[in-house]
Amino acid sequence: MRLRHALSNYAIFVALVAECVVLAVATDAFFTVDNLSNVLRQNAFTAILAAGMTFVILTAGIDLSVGSVVGLTGVVASDVLVHGYGTPAALAAGLLVGLLVGTINGITVTRLRIPAFIVTLAMMLVARGAAYKYTDARTISGLPPSFGVLSSSLSTAVIMAGVFVVAWILLMRTPFGRHVYATGGNRDAAWLSGVRVDRVEFSVYAISGIAAGLAGVLVASRLNAGYPRAGEFYELDAIAAVVVGGTSLFGGRGSLWGTLAGAFFIGVLNNGLNLFRVSSYDQLIVKGAVLLIAASLDRWRR
Amino acid sequence: MSPPSLADSNELRRGEPLPSLADSNELRRGELLPSLDGSNELRRGKLLSASGLAKSYGGAHALAGVDFTLDAGEIHALVGENGAGKSTLIKILGGAVVPDGGEVTFLERPLPSGDPRTVRERGIATVHQEFTLVKDLSVADNIFLGRELARPFLRRGEMNAGVQRILDTLGVEVPPSARVGDLSVAGQQMVEIARALAIDAKVLILDEPSATLSGLEVERLFTVLRQLRLRGLGIIYISHRLEEIFDLADRVTVLRDGRTVSTGAAAGLTRAQLIRSMVGRDVSEEFPARHPQPGAVVLEVDHLSAPPRFSDVSFSVRQGEIVGLAGLVGAGRTSTALAIAGALHASGAVRLNGRPVRFRSPAEAIEHGIAYVTEDRKGRGIFPVMGTGENITIAYLRAYARAGLLRPPAERAAAAAKAREFDVRAARLSQPASTLSGGNQQKMLLARYLLKRRDLVILDEPTRGVDVGARAEIYGLMNRLTAEGLAILMISSELPEVLGMADRIVVLREGRTMGELARAAATPERVMGLATRT
Repeated sequence: MRLRHALSNYAIFVALVAECVVLAVATDAFFTVDNLSNVLRQNAFTAILAAGMTFVILTAGIDLSVGSVVGLTGVVASDVLVHGYGTPAALAAGLLVGLLVGTINGITVTRLRIPAFIVTLAMMLVARGAAYKYTDARTISGLPPSFGVLSSSLSTAVIMAGVFVVAWILLMRTPFGRHVYATGGNRDAAWLSGVRVDRVEFSVYAISGIAAGLAGVLVASRLNAGYPRAGEFYELDAIAAVVVGGTSLFGGRGSLWGTLAGAFFIGVLNNGLNLFRVSSYDQLIVKGAVLLIAASLDRWRR
Repeated sequence: MSPPSLADSNELRRGEPLPSLADSNELRRGELLPSLDGSNELRRGKLLSASGLAKSYGGAHALAGVDFTLDAGEIHALVGENGAGKSTLIKILGGAVVPDGGEVTFLERPLPSGDPRTVRERGIATVHQEFTLVKDLSVADNIFLGRELARPFLRRGEMNAGVQRILDTLGVEVPPSARVGDLSVAGQQMVEIARALAIDAKVLILDEPSATLSGLEVERLFTVLRQLRLRGLGIIYISHRLEEIFDLADRVTVLRDGRTVSTGAAAGLTRAQLIRSMVGRDVSEEFPARHPQPGAVVLEVDHLSAPPRFSDVSFSVRQGEIVGLAGLVGAGRTSTALAIAGALHASGAVRLNGRPVRFRSPAEAIEHGIAYVTEDRKGRGIFPVMGTGENITIAYLRAYARAGLLRPPAERAAAAAKAREFDVRAARLSQPASTLSGGNQQKMLLARYLLKRRDLVILDEPTRGVDVGARAEIYGLMNRLTAEGLAILMISSELPEVLGMADRIVVLREGRTMGELARAAATPERVMGLATRT
């Protein structure tokens, strides 16, 4: 019983370390500064999205709109830049648009009582459409070189670490974070215990929106362009990271560190498959299998 | 939608065979039984016989030796207080629950237990209070659900015709193609009964069928049931309305504390005798002596209404006092409590310490010193995967935060102190709440809602599913807390608990205040008398 518990709680960390050890031994290319910083820069976006997604999923919700929000906030931030404002303004604009989208999601879920799946699916379409409309489906290029600094290895690492530290404090060291777990663990009980469950649910979508806004600006910086198609399918990567990291889709159970490990487990897996020259088609199949295994681990734990 | 008309059903052809769908049905069970027509010995014979049935849930005995028989062509009423074991008994008879001991014979063969489907196919059909109909399907589709006539496509015409024949004999004017969700409650109940007849049921179990019906609809139901009796069905009828039992039943079996207290003809019984055998037991020493010293009025409830759940409920609770809210299941007690605690919108006035209050959420009520401890521990009480400590502090987390950040040591210390005070036995504070015993979960919930000083706490079924030891501890806690000035409103379906712990008893029936009894004046008979329809 306790072994089983420990196994399932730490499985993802053990798996991530094992994966890295195998790749370090089996290939020369994996354990190099270049490759590792590449893995970091490629997967930091997913990890940041997944941090926000963790809040949502802990309340037994889901946010399918984050990929589209990455696209939308990326073009908005790029537009701010080409109009001559600096990186801080672009960042602020991206975060603001992300917050706005998350707020709309949150209000719709809590006020109209429409399932989050539908609300955020609709928002996924709307936000993507808005990104195309904003740019007339063109790419915004000619961003100042200084903007690229935001997505350097060092900066990416610092930003991602910052996101996780802030998210961890919010989740584990504030009454709000406890209320997130409580709402997902037993919504009725939370309500009868004086938790304002509507506010909690609203807030998690706002948080996910901000995280998506931040990721959107970082993606634009990395692409050095505002590309309206940016972030397609990122919502699925983020959800996969959260689930692989051990957070229950039924809410109430999970951790941010699991999410971080989950994001990088999938990232390193991709990297390893690339290093072994596995075709991208086969990579999709492997990723799908991993997701299923993780989900069945979650069932087994109950 | 017009209610089913049974107008001329009394005219109905005695002894005429019930149309059976068995002919058109692969699942025919003709070999089990001669069909109901003309077999007189069957009509007199014993259908069902249970002896020595026992069942316990986690140490609490739901049944502890129940004997029960049902003859063909009789209506047998099953009565008892809430928790007497009626529902466990019918669940066993319906095959849904496996007894720990005892046996059930149906038509001289052992009943397969734990297999509701087979039991139903053999001819024991239960109509539960919550119907098991699919609202979006038609009447005929519901009746044939799982046994559709098809080769390979649905034969709707045949099914509709078969259903029509049954509905005709019941005198129900509902088209087989009507959507079930569009029918009245009474109409849906008739569909449930028709479904039982469609599988050629020999035994029909009805769990409080009249609870949701109007007077006229009850009359129609009775007409149908009497007609089915004539056709040789054995009917088990559960009701809290005693007058119905005298009106309808041939025999009455009384259950109390999971045992058969008496079985006998309904004809010779009086209402007083029946009530006495339902409640007759001593309110024993399991309750601590109470020496209430009521202070100022804490809570005043004035004409509180939330139709259709309850209306015009008025009472008050004083400092240091336990007021019991008694009544049958469905009398509106929990709804009233939820309304006071801000969890249900209601009109009327609630005054707390003399000031009018209107809480829009439990959060507001808690801020003002009122807490509600649910009857549904698992569903609306505990956070199963959270630790015991976190379960205790959840309602007052802000008290353990500084500048918005939680201080884990302060939180842990408070949780540990409260767990000790309320004797919550967890191996460690991080032990998940779902792994605690029922009694410890209940004490944990009390600790949660009484973590800070309260004016009033509402305890809804405070000892449901709690073993005897923890029960005594909870009573002790209630005593101590009221001695310290807390006002307690206690909802309980257990008469001894109400009589043993409450200083005053307010009785609700069908959502209305029926009366108030001081402790000295309260007897089981008087409480039950107020709680049941006269």
